[in-house]
Amino acid sequence: MSATETPNATRISPYWRSLDDLEQSPEFQQFVKREFPQQAEDIPEGVSRRRWMQIMGASFALAGAQGCRWQTEKIVPFAERPEGYVPGASTKFATSIEWGGASRHLLVTCYDGRPIKVEGNPEHPASRGAAEAFSQAATLSLYDPDRQSTVLQRSGGKKISREAETGWAEFEKFLGEQTERLAAAGGAGLGLLMPPSTSATIATMLGKIAAAMPQARLYQHSAVSRTNELAGAQLAFGKPVRTHYKLAGTRVVAAFDSDLLHDRPDSLTIARDWGDARDVDAEGFDPDKMVRLYSVESQFTATGSVADHRLAVKSSQIPAVLAELRDAIAHAGDGSHGKDHEQGHEEAHAEGEHPVAPTREEFIAVLAEDLAAAKGESVVAIGAHQPAEAHALAHEINALLQNAGKTVVYTDEPSGDVEFGTIDGLVGDMAARKIDTLLILGGNPAFDAPAELAFGDELQKVANTVHLSPYDDETSRQCTWSLPETHPFEAWSDAAAWDGTPSVGQPLIEPLLNGRSAIEVLSLLTGDASTKPQDLVREAVLGEVEEKAWKQFLHDGFVADSAAAPISVTAKQGIEPSSSADADGLEVVFRPSPQVYDGRFANNGWLQETPEFITKLTWDNAAVVSPTTAKTLGATQGEMVRLSHPELDAEIDLPVFVVPGTADDTIAVALGYGRTAAGRVGGYVAEPGGKSKYREEVVAERGNWGMKLGGGIPLLSVNAAPVGQNVYPFRTSKHTDIVPGVTSIALGKKYLLATTQDHFSIDEVGLEMAERRAGDLVREGTIEDYKDHADFAKHVGHHVPDVELWDELSYDDNRAWGMAIDLNKCLGCNACVVACTSENNVPVVGKDQVSRGREMHWIRIDRYFHGPREAPQVAYQPLACQQCETAPCEQVCPVAATVHSDEGLNDMVYNRCIGTRYCANNCPFKVRRFNFFSYTSRFREANNELLRLVNNPEVTLRSRGVMEKCTYCTQRISAARIKSKTDGRAVPGKIEDGEIVTACQQACPTQAITFGDLKDEKSKVAAKHASPRSYGMLDGLRLKPRTQFLARIRNPHPKLAKYYPKPGGHHGGGHGAGGHGEGDHGHQDEKHKDAEHSA
Amino acid sequence: MVLGGVAGGGAYAAGVLGYLTWPEVMNVGYAPEQPVPFSHKLHAGELKMDCRYCHNTVDKTAHAAVPSTNVCANCHSGTYDDGQTKYTAVHTNSIKLLPVRQSQTSGDPIEWEKIHDLGDYVYFNHAIHVNQGVSCAVCHGRIDTMDVVHQNKPLTMSWCIECHRDPEPRMRPLDEVTNLAWVAPAGDELDPHRQLMRETYGDGENEIKASTNCSTCHR
Repeated sequence: MSATETPNATRISPYWRSLDDLEQSPEFQQFVKREFPQQAEDIPEGVSRRRWMQIMGASFALAGAQGCRWQTEKIVPFAERPEGYVPGASTKFATSIEWGGASRHLLVTCYDGRPIKVEGNPEHPASRGAAEAFSQAATLSLYDPDRQSTVLQRSGGKKISREAETGWAEFEKFLGEQTERLAAAGGAGLGLLMPPSTSATIATMLGKIAAAMPQARLYQHSAVSRTNELAGAQLAFGKPVRTHYKLAGTRVVAAFDSDLLHDRPDSLTIARDWGDARDVDAEGFDPDKMVRLYSVESQFTATGSVADHRLAVKSSQIPAVLAELRDAIAHAGDGSHGKDHEQGHEEAHAEGEHPVAPTREEFIAVLAEDLAAAKGESVVAIGAHQPAEAHALAHEINALLQNAGKTVVYTDEPSGDVEFGTIDGLVGDMAARKIDTLLILGGNPAFDAPAELAFGDELQKVANTVHLSPYDDETSRQCTWSLPETHPFEAWSDAAAWDGTPSVGQPLIEPLLNGRSAIEVLSLLTGDASTKPQDLVREAVLGEVEEKAWKQFLHDGFVADSAAAPISVTAKQGIEPSSSADADGLEVVFRPSPQVYDGRFANNGWLQETPEFITKLTWDNAAVVSPTTAKTLGATQGEMVRLSHPELDAEIDLPVFVVPGTADDTIAVALGYGRTAAGRVGGYVAEPGGKSKYREEVVAERGNWGMKLGGGIPLLSVNAAPVGQNVYPFRTSKHTDIVPGVTSIALGKKYLLATTQDHFSIDEVGLEMAERRAGDLVREGTIEDYKDHADFAKHVGHHVPDVELWDELSYDDNRAWGMAIDLNKCLGCNACVVACTSENNVPVVGKDQVSRGREMHWIRIDRYFHGPREAPQVAYQPLACQQCETAPCEQVCPVAATVHSDEGLNDMVYNRCIGTRYCANNCPFKVRRFNFFSYTSRFREANNELLRLVNNPEVTLRSRGVMEKCTYCTQRISAARIKSKTDGRAVPGKIEDGEIVTACQQACPTQAITFGDLKDEKSKVAAKHASPRSYGMLDGLRLKPRTQFLARIRNPHPKLAKYYPKPGGHHGGGHGAGGHGEGDHGHQDEKHKDAEHSA
Repeated sequence: MVLGGVAGGGAYAAGVLGYLTWPEVMNVGYAPEQPVPFSHKLHAGELKMDCRYCHNTVDKTAHAAVPSTNVCANCHSGTYDDGQTKYTAVHTNSIKLLPVRQSQTSGDPIEWEKIHDLGDYVYFNHAIHVNQGVSCAVCHGRIDTMDVVHQNKPLTMSWCIECHRDPEPRMRPLDEVTNLAWVAPAGDELDPHRQLMRETYGDGENEIKASTNCSTCHR
């Protein structure tokens, strides 16, 4: 069946998880036949097998214990223990890291002097404790053995690796000579290319360089830039201005191609405000004033997926939509604008059997009306990649709505004293031979610069090129000097938050691999080489201050109350979008990958394996298209298409991934994949004439043949195939993020996409049941439902009498741990998934294993679609072990390896598990994970010693044949319990509410997760469980899960509500689609009736 | 007959093997040679140094840290080249203390043999035990009488659990925890002892709850 035909008539639930699922494709049928789609003896094959071995090596390890009297261990105490240092106690440090000009403010846990866990800095105003996936994966990058460890020199096709001890000295000598020569010419010939930075230290140093060498040229480049945003501010206000969206107290938020809850530099702050605004149970919550989120976008963003109303529009049409909206708002007073459309559409809708999406006109009319009614209480947000005119229009609309200064606050865009050129300018200067010495401090321009510049080739023409980078990457390969850069956790730095708060980046560990920071390299140019980087940072950020202020800065991580002051600006009115954008034809839209960003995290296995929030795709990028566009392309899910453009030489081949809700004629593609010099995880292809670094994997690749030939000793070095497709060759200065006029050919080849959404279906029957139950599993209602019956969620699903079938444990005199997850706040952003991976030593298994359904994540975020496939809505449900009180897994374990604790935890005892997998078979939530291979064994290898350090020593590393799962971070519970009895508190043994924070809870930007003691009536989690919205999954099975979900409350506009069918399985019998919006009373009756039927 | 002999021999061999690999047989009495022949009998027993003078993190964290070299050197520093002694100096020229002086000079640690070695999947925490009135002697025996430290208790799971199920008889007042020579009131006075422990460690929030949950030790 093709992607656009009517959904299968036998389908019952209005929920569906993917189009495969919706269509019951043969591949899908095959996949679900077996719970574990491939048997354990199916050893990974071919390339994917090698990749798996590589990843195993690159992503986990264990210092093991074997033998009878196990291997003896040594105790190696310090010769002189540092003062205040307690072996085995962890310490937390506030620090900051930044990339692409955006800073992240963190609290890093160090164990025995090594950073093992990253969390947000709870005191920092720009973090408030949350951290997104990228930051949390920073520890894995820190211990990445593929990082560059020596100074390298390249000349005439030869690579010379300098000695670790002398390499830097040789470079210093070289740079000293060059600087002397260049300084004599006032810096003429010197070029310096850096990614944008908010660091005051770097700004000061660049200022020094500009003053000392006025002829030197400074350039800035980053693949994901704010150029359009600043140009838009220039257009609207006549100067670059920074925009802050304040969601607290807003009533209407409209995001235009903007992932404001997830992808902005200040998204953590916005997401927190959003979470608070959607907290239905909060004190003083007024259902009539609940914030309503509209999203107009070409592809699903996290923001769009949680929006109350979403309109799929091509990215190139956004400026036109904004102009229409502005005009509609201006006319909103007379009430004539939207009415016609609405009525006209209603008639059309009545004829159709299936619900359809609102038209663009209707959507804009309603949005305009809603915005106009919420003057000063609304936000119109715009995506950074949209053209300047779209930004200017958004500013204009915000002014029109009187939001400026209230919900949309402007501050001055901080700018240093130095002028930066662009990368286009740099290439021009290189071609004109104006640069003979180029220092590239950070970034990877040879990989991600606009294609037409041929940056890598131009680089070859410059006599002296220096690249400072954590990896010997694509750019390093084109340079004469390649220098190892420190990880942000290894060096002094500073960064300013989005609101301007100066923040410190302090080293948490000595440089592991001989690296130096950009500040240290710059100090060679500024003559500060003899000053400690610490002092440079202190001087630049704080100036002359007392030691106490500096210590406070290091302790807090930031300077309190130092946010930039708001300014008052007047937006230019009457901006007209240029009409050049043609409405027809395919267009490619690029966005930074939520996994690897612009490519810099390509060698990070945690991020590569995190399922993308909407496609649930791992280890790849794809051409994400709507079902209609897939038809246009002539390709189905997983088939390759070749994209080309008349103005470009490049062609890119991408597998098609069909996501309903993507704007038609849009091909959404994630940047950052296809790296060729990332490392063994992200892809490594040997340089021409060179050999790959990765030798040990050859045995795995060649299988038995290689074993025999080499006698177990690898003979050949091998490449690591790039992950995904590199799409930068398709990106030019003219069309940075939106490429119109694309042509495509279907190649008719299949490509393996490792997507996780359909995993853990038991069989066809199980799948069908899961589908039918989807509305029970993830419960939603509208704010109207909530006003009518706040406990509507409790009436969904089967209810069984509360009869004990056996003597159940009593928790009367003990704690009872429980969790509540508010579906109304979840953005599906994956912060919790990476947090859990880091905290619990969850192994990375690789694409091959993921495609077999063997991913190991303890918490997964289920994503459901419902509603019409033209405009589906998305529901997320983070699912970890539910800690059922009557846990089905416990009943079937033959060796009591999973048993109940007296605090209600479903304990998992790895050392007792014999791997029968009965428990996983019997788990109705499919949250148990089995170690099909010894994913951790490679840690024992000498070349992975560094990688071992990433593991949390408080959690066992599991070996092959062992089941594992979430236990509410039982190590954190133990730690709190011990602390409560040893720290001399007033009531020993009393654990305060909120003292234990699970890793997922800690990371959540919207605070959707609550954890605590259910026996403590005053605890937050007890209050959440008492909420009328709370429900336990699969209540018909009487599992009594300790994790309760709080039903999602959507807030549709009354005029658009009719397009959204009431979700939920309680509708039964195939009429799940269409037109249930009207008449909520009728709905309630129907619900009860159906419940009776199905009981 | 022959068959019976083979069967009997096999059973005997299995029995011997089983006995020899029994954790209690294998581990109790394990007393490896240490780089420095440090005598606990002398220091803790005769000189009555408190356990926590050296193992100073035992009541704070999971690890009862083995002291760093400079703790040894507080008493056992060597002499200067001119023969002058540093600090307090005891046995400045003892050959047995050579590794201590070397470590102190070079900064390289002394590598001690680990005796009480639990499985990597066992998360034992010293602080919680010591703070709840479990003496060092309960798990380590009378260290203060050992010239060479050996493993005195089996440290098997069943042995741990035994105490976790009924901890009171093995507990003592907090100020006697590092007094290894302390003796509990004799047999018929066990009940008063239990009573004392309950009063000492309270009931309610702080009652003695030696958890027997799997996740208490395995996580």
